[in-house]
Amino acid sequence: MPSPSESLPMMSSQPAAAPAAQEESNPIRDAIAEAIGEHKVILFMKGTPEAPACGFSARTVAALQALDTPFAAVDVLPDPRIRQELSAISDWPTIPQLFVGGELLGGCDIVIEMYESGELAQALL
Amino acid sequence: MARSHEADGTDPAGPLGTALRILYARNIVPSAEEIKQRIETAIPGAHAEVEDYTGGGDHFRATVTAEAFEGRTRIEQHRLVYDVFGPEIGAAIHALALKTQTHAKIQTH
Repeated sequence: MPSPSESLPMMSSQPAAAPAAQEESNPIRDAIAEAIGEHKVILFMKGTPEAPACGFSARTVAALQALDTPFAAVDVLPDPRIRQELSAISDWPTIPQLFVGGELLGGCDIVIEMYESGELAQALL
Repeated sequence: MARSHEADGTDPAGPLGTALRILYARNIVPSAEEIKQRIETAIPGAHAEVEDYTGGGDHFRATVTAEAFEGRTRIEQHRLVYDVFGPEIGAAIHALALKTQTHAKIQTH
């Protein structure tokens, strides 16, 4: 008998039959890695750029918007596994996390410091 | 008529007050001073200034000066500090805003 936690559906799009290689596949981590690879500038944040749910996320969004940078944004709040898997990939414990060109640029403190010194504008070119 | 609840050890703040005091007594929430000392112990030669900037005991701001940061990127410098606290970051320590530098900035005016 599967334990209750194992019987939870991983994602709504998951087929009903559990695949045999379930312990190998990690769809959330794969989706995050794919998103980081696909977008030149992507911000993982609490809330959305229109409605940030945390002051640190809000400040990071404001820095990007001040530079007129188009960026993709992912809200980590709807599912705690997003944050968990993101931190496993990035080795960075806090939110927000800004990735540029597939690399972690930093969290709020680093992004703001780079914005103020002009380095952020350079990094986003 | 003397009221007895203070004398008999009953917490006037009720059971929640007692529970909160026990949490703090167990140091589940580290203080700014404790965070400073843990950073300075873990990173040789580091000097840390830590403030609890909301007064709520879980949002901290730290400026860490250490020669150990020399030659490392900002990301690596911040990771060195985050690694001191591991899973406490985001849990008991809700936020630890960081500024890292290799030498103390001298104010020129």
